[in-house]
Amino acid sequence: MNESAAKEAIEKVLNLARADDVFVRMGGSAFHSTRVADNLITQNVARCNVSVRVDCAFGRQHGSAITNVFDDAALQAVVRRAAAIARVSPPDPEYMPPVPSEEAARYPEVARSYDEQTACCAPRWRAEQIVEATKPVEAKGFRLSGAYATGSGFTALGNSAGLRAYHRSTHAEMHCSVLGANGSGWARQASNDVAALDASAIAGQALTIAEAAQCPADLEPGRYTVVLRPAAVFGLLGYLWSAFDAKATDEGRTFLRGKLGTRVCGRNISIGSDPSDKRSPGRPFQSDGLASQKLAWIREGVLENLIYSRYWAARKKRAATGRPANTLVAGGDSTVESLIRGVDRGILVTRFWYIRAVDPMRASITGMTRDGLFLIERGQVAGPIRHMRFNERLFDLLGRVEQLGVPERVSLSAMVPAMRVREFNFTSATRF
Amino acid sequence: MAAQAVEIAKAGSLAKAPEGIRWAAESVYKDVFRTPVEKDPFEVSLEQKLDLLLAANAEALRVRGVKKSHASMRFAGEHRFLANSEGTQVESETTMSTAQVRATAVDTRTAKTRYFSAYPKNIGYEHIEATPLVAEATRVGEEAVAQLSARPCPVGKKDLILHPSHLVLTMHESIGHATELDRVLGMEESLAGSSFATVDQLGALKYGSELMNVVCDNTMPFGLGSRGYDDDGVAAQRWHVIRDGILVDYQTGREVCHAIGAERSRGSCRADSWGSIPIVRQSNLGLEPGAEPLSPEELIADTKDGIYIEGIGSFSIDQKRYNFQFGGDCFWEIKNGKKGAILRDVTYQAITPEFWGAMDAICDERFWTPYGVLNCGKGDPGQVARMTHGSAPARFRQINVGDASK
Repeated sequence: MNESAAKEAIEKVLNLARADDVFVRMGGSAFHSTRVADNLITQNVARCNVSVRVDCAFGRQHGSAITNVFDDAALQAVVRRAAAIARVSPPDPEYMPPVPSEEAARYPEVARSYDEQTACCAPRWRAEQIVEATKPVEAKGFRLSGAYATGSGFTALGNSAGLRAYHRSTHAEMHCSVLGANGSGWARQASNDVAALDASAIAGQALTIAEAAQCPADLEPGRYTVVLRPAAVFGLLGYLWSAFDAKATDEGRTFLRGKLGTRVCGRNISIGSDPSDKRSPGRPFQSDGLASQKLAWIREGVLENLIYSRYWAARKKRAATGRPANTLVAGGDSTVESLIRGVDRGILVTRFWYIRAVDPMRASITGMTRDGLFLIERGQVAGPIRHMRFNERLFDLLGRVEQLGVPERVSLSAMVPAMRVREFNFTSATRF
Repeated sequence: MAAQAVEIAKAGSLAKAPEGIRWAAESVYKDVFRTPVEKDPFEVSLEQKLDLLLAANAEALRVRGVKKSHASMRFAGEHRFLANSEGTQVESETTMSTAQVRATAVDTRTAKTRYFSAYPKNIGYEHIEATPLVAEATRVGEEAVAQLSARPCPVGKKDLILHPSHLVLTMHESIGHATELDRVLGMEESLAGSSFATVDQLGALKYGSELMNVVCDNTMPFGLGSRGYDDDGVAAQRWHVIRDGILVDYQTGREVCHAIGAERSRGSCRADSWGSIPIVRQSNLGLEPGAEPLSPEELIADTKDGIYIEGIGSFSIDQKRYNFQFGGDCFWEIKNGKKGAILRDVTYQAITPEFWGAMDAICDERFWTPYGVLNCGKGDPGQVARMTHGSAPARFRQINVGDASK
């Protein structure tokens, strides 16, 4: 939905609502995906949806309702429903009134992340990309499984305090596993612009890893120096933000309690967010209408910021931060190959899989390696090994990083480098 | 929209199987399925629901040491109409109800959370009314507090007695996903993964001990996967996937069942919404109860050195469903046949066939309890499905346990 249509719909809903405060949020997406398994296209789908959420408040009593039907009767019904829920809800001491209209002046300039060609990408084009990418894989007797997806999305906000906001973006992503009889490789690329995606190159990367990964040997689990490719580091950081909520932290319910302003990991670790970063542009505003901000969360190992909601920021007399607009991990200038050269005996990890929190209060996580695990000996990849399970404490791990690679765009909203980490804790092996 | 679907299908034919798509035959149906509902949850007033939730929260917060309580209800009404070019026209209306209270205890060192659920069922609001949410809020609050000062999990091998509220996830991850035939065939390889339980081992793979009988049942009353027909238009069925410890069948759809020589799909193909494509999803799947009379108390009395686990905690498993590590929600030490003190931070690690091979006792049908799963993720683009897994408490000998993050 374009900006004028979205804003027209928002005005319509705002005019229907009779409450002290009204907040309307619209979201929509068009998602198109072509999926392949064993070198054959197995699934081809397109899905579009647009929804509107209405929040009504009477004093501190508030309620929400959502619909994806946009006729007059449905919009009237969703507004009535939100108001009815608000009327019966007890006053919420944490309720915050709508973000004022002046906030829009604080919205940062962000790089354009919408591309018409990407939004309109035809299914035949995606299929042709996959067919071409698959040919060299098939020629070598390997099998490719993956997906090529394109699409667009938008968010539009409006509230009774006069704030209006709209942002749209496109996405293009291909990921694939390449499988041989006794091992697999994997690669992924994401961009806002489909022209930046090179399906054959992605398949080629996965094929190279797969060829090297055949017939893995056993290796005793234990603590090893590891070289983590960027995708592996990104996987580990998946649970990072769950520890950053300021209210939960101040109430003693996260690992970071009492640690604001203190060293939580190595001096070589800095993690920030910047919606204006051209490599990984973010949305200029948060879901409540607050401006997205450039923030350092961890600077040279020191915890500089937590995620402050508007309510908790007011309680603590601090500025609200909103959630991270993206994840930007500072890196170095090393290539993965140079990180490997610095390892006498260790392990190269392509990526991790099924990472889960074990104990949030210790920031401990577990997971499996996947799609290519390799022994490193005397600075060189010596051969494939069977996959292993790890158990680690995330911030301890970030204190054992010896060297950083060049940050890469590992998802639409993250720039992450490869890392060399000492004493990484593998606790058991699997059978392949 | 139909023209767009044709365009998409034609594009897909650029890389199609030489033999094309083969769909297993199925009868033509004209039918309606409805979840039996005594009290429609959408007709129950918000005030009544809020009163119950706030009362549960208040009870949990009354427990000294509990600093946070979160109570919630969730209801889902789905109205589906399926029509295909074979002439089938089936309609289903399902209603799901669940409620939960979570209590978090906090001290100067750590925080621990424990929950109680009116487990998700396809049923009406009568399920919520029959569940002692407020009374149980006190218990889980006390158990959350007890975990703050509990001893950590010992490291080594222990006998585990797993309650159905915990086994629900162990079964889901190590049996349910591993026996979805599309995964087994590699169709989910790039995302969710595949399975060690390959087609060439059908009828021969020793999945577990002889006590292990696993049945899929989409006709099961209250089951979250029960809605009369799947989204291929196949009527609901009941069948064994594991009999006497041996893999004997899979969960299938019409597109894939020919790979095991089956002439008919097992009816396990579901989409999570109008906007998703049907894929093979786990059915209601359960571990059959033991044939001999056995109560949980008798099972504990027969266990010298073990741990008893309730509820769902951390869970992780490799993409072929071999190596897993599970936690839980609450843990008790078992010493010399007696359930003792609460432990904290218990995890156990195993390889799937070795784990199920170590099962040496299952309580009888009096203790068989179904638990619903609401958040089963699969597919690309991702879909979230619901299903039910039932079991009775069961014992697993000499499983590796330990504080995994040490």
